[in-house]
Amino acid sequence: MKEIIRRIASSIVLIIVVSFVTFFMLMLIPGDAVEISLGTEATPERVTELRAALGMDAPWYTQYMSWFTHALAGDFGVSFTYGENVTTLLLSRLPVTLSLMLMAIVIAVPLALTIGVIAALKQNKTFDIIARTLMQMGDAMPQFWIALIFLVYIAAQIEIFPISGFTPFSESVYGGVMSLFLPAVVLAFGMIATLIRIVRSSMLHSLKQDYMLMTRVSGVHPVRAIIKYPLRDALIAPLTVIGIQISGLISGVIVVESIFSLPGVGRLLFSAVLKRDLFLILGLVSFIVTSVIIITLITDILYILLNKKMRRNES
Amino acid sequence: MRKYLLILSIVLLLIPSTLGLVSLFYTPYPITQMDLGNRFSGMSTEHLLGTDQFGRDILSRLMVASRYALLLGTVSVTLGLFIGSLIGIISALSKKWISMIFLRFIDGMLAFPGIVLAMMFVVVFGDGIYSTLVAIAIFMIPIFARLTYSLIKEQQHALYIVAAKSIGLSTTRIVWRHYLPVILPRLVTQFSASIGSAILIESALSYLGLGVVPPNASFGLMLKEAQSFMLSYPYLILPSGILLVITVLGLNLMGDTLNDRLMKLGDTND
Repeated sequence: MKEIIRRIASSIVLIIVVSFVTFFMLMLIPGDAVEISLGTEATPERVTELRAALGMDAPWYTQYMSWFTHALAGDFGVSFTYGENVTTLLLSRLPVTLSLMLMAIVIAVPLALTIGVIAALKQNKTFDIIARTLMQMGDAMPQFWIALIFLVYIAAQIEIFPISGFTPFSESVYGGVMSLFLPAVVLAFGMIATLIRIVRSSMLHSLKQDYMLMTRVSGVHPVRAIIKYPLRDALIAPLTVIGIQISGLISGVIVVESIFSLPGVGRLLFSAVLKRDLFLILGLVSFIVTSVIIITLITDILYILLNKKMRRNES
Repeated sequence: MRKYLLILSIVLLLIPSTLGLVSLFYTPYPITQMDLGNRFSGMSTEHLLGTDQFGRDILSRLMVASRYALLLGTVSVTLGLFIGSLIGIISALSKKWISMIFLRFIDGMLAFPGIVLAMMFVVVFGDGIYSTLVAIAIFMIPIFARLTYSLIKEQQHALYIVAAKSIGLSTTRIVWRHYLPVILPRLVTQFSASIGSAILIESALSYLGLGVVPPNASFGLMLKEAQSFMLSYPYLILPSGILLVITVLGLNLMGDTLNDRLMKLGDTND
């Protein structure tokens, strides 16, 4: 319990530190954000006026405090380029990104578990060697290249997958799933190698433990013994890495959304970066990094709880 | 099996490094030389790997791209290694509250997804080779800092460190003569594994148009340019993609085999 409270406290500190670093880095931006946003209409009077209106004439720490207190209340300011509230923009894009990530996880985890478990049971046999080769290849292939290959050799050949764009689920569930399927497979491809590696090594580790020898001595059926101990550990193993994976998954989402022109958070951030839309970048980056911290925190806590339960069961 | 993997990784790595080295003094054609009458030509004796959408020689562009990828990867990871391990050493050996500040800072940086961090960097410092390099280096710093920190903490209570302290050696001397030799192999392993991921980040950035910019050549940039023509001329996405995979695969395999060797060395020492 103490450990959990300590984790929560340090995550809160982390979120504050990160928001501060992000804010400070974007303050370093060359040129004036206000001038950029006004573009050709930037007369000195207009610049001063807008700057005062946005509270940007205040010293930076006042600006940070005011931005941070607003952000806590869920208000990330207004985007220059869209003329809309950053929170509204974010909420309208979030469902696409979340369903994409969820689909990728749903594809990757069961597949990785199956391959990882079989590879461990057949260590150094043909299946294991093929799985390991595929893992190495998966690690070495950039996701955007896999996406391009998929587009050219699958989407362009088979009509059921659209080449780009997104059909909202409210319009057609089938269309929505189909438009997200290929991007989700690309994302799953990016995370599957690490997952297989972890499942496989967890299985190998448990299989070598003394209690496995014990089950054989006491005449437990091998299949039953494997289901009872190593498999259970292997099922938990992916959980421990989702915290680490989530950050890589988000990197992948940004790239994949741009390739498949999906209207998600990643593409919003990408276009914000291209247009130097300061408040939008600030809001999105803070949101993404805070989510990463919170997800890592949750997986950490789950891991602690599971570990405790397992230890209790064993004793 | 292990021996073959090492040989395989060397063979794979020889391809991009030879291409990159030769490109320093010779490329079949200048990389920006266009030949609009000869666009999308396939493999021929004139253009060994064919030409792209502007009639530029693909082989020449690949040679320069290999050079940039290897150079950017190595230099940025080296920067990350030095700064990161310095931060790691300082935070492991200093007072508790100083190390707390450093550790929170490292955790904060680790929470940024690689592409997001790099994107912010590009916003602040503009695109181009140098900011790509710095962005990747910054991404690598917390990774090496964490590794160095935990390696030193592992060794802190080892007998030889306690002995060195008890005879009154200075901290600097202990770091140089006692900690570094022990942790260096692990850092080197991480170094070779990180170059692969650095190259992948560089290619993703260039692909998004935020890294190496035209008229320069880079794997990611070539793929970005190929994308507009890929449905009518899919061949364009193959040469640069395959060479990129070969490069990263070679580096990863090299890191893995080094790691295995190291583990074996550690076992025999016990």
